[in-house]
Amino acid sequence: MSSPVRLTLSTVEAAHLTDLIDQFTELLADTIDDEGLDDPAIARLVPDAYRGDPEAAAEFRRLTQSDLLDRRRDDAALMLVTLQSHGAAVRPGELREEDAAVELEILLEDGAIDAWLRTLTAVRLVMAVRLGIEDDETDDLDDARFGVYHWLGYRLDGLLSALDD
Amino acid sequence: MAVVSTIPREDVDQATSSRSAAPWQAVVWNDPVNLMSYVTHVFRTYFGYSRERAEQLMLAVHHVGHAVVAEGAREQMEMHVQAMHDFGLWATVREGDA
Repeated sequence: MSSPVRLTLSTVEAAHLTDLIDQFTELLADTIDDEGLDDPAIARLVPDAYRGDPEAAAEFRRLTQSDLLDRRRDDAALMLVTLQSHGAAVRPGELREEDAAVELEILLEDGAIDAWLRTLTAVRLVMAVRLGIEDDETDDLDDARFGVYHWLGYRLDGLLSALDD
Repeated sequence: MAVVSTIPREDVDQATSSRSAAPWQAVVWNDPVNLMSYVTHVFRTYFGYSRERAEQLMLAVHHVGHAVVAEGAREQMEMHVQAMHDFGLWATVREGDA
């Protein structure tokens, strides 16, 4: 993984991605790391490391939770920086119709690749909790959020394929 | 695990049958969100497993519901599990049944 990975996104995709990462960043900003996590979506990002041993799970959480949540913040911030440095500054509502399909070439170096993979994954985990996805069959074609969720998976999978080439 | 690309279903017993005398294990559990390609990528890049071994473990997670991805000292398994959480995988530490 030494040469950068090239990712092509349309301007409208980049705008939606920016918007999603912004929302994720806000969610993390509202989370106080050392307190109990009331939001099951945030809790999914720091699962129990021990089954059937609450004491060991709590001790592990005390040692790792705030580091892990900080990593999510750092990864999301780096992803926003790479998006913006490649021209993805426009939000979905501000997009001009004639620009929507314009393609943006995004070059990801090693550190940015990992930040993208982990952030796309984390956002999908949060969305899955919000959407109540508990098995491989959960889906709702009438709910646009499922479309966004699948699109993120498609982009994540594409990034992994590009890494393999 | 969510499926994007089609990976042939194959015998996954091999991936879960190896047991050593090591007292602690890092276990990765199936979830409906993480992509098969992503789980394989994590096993390859983090543990340095070959593509074949990483795919075997991924398929064990997918079909059996979980797989032991590493065995050894408790502290080391906790480090691995923290790394798996960092990647968004659902992982736990447990005492081995050796």
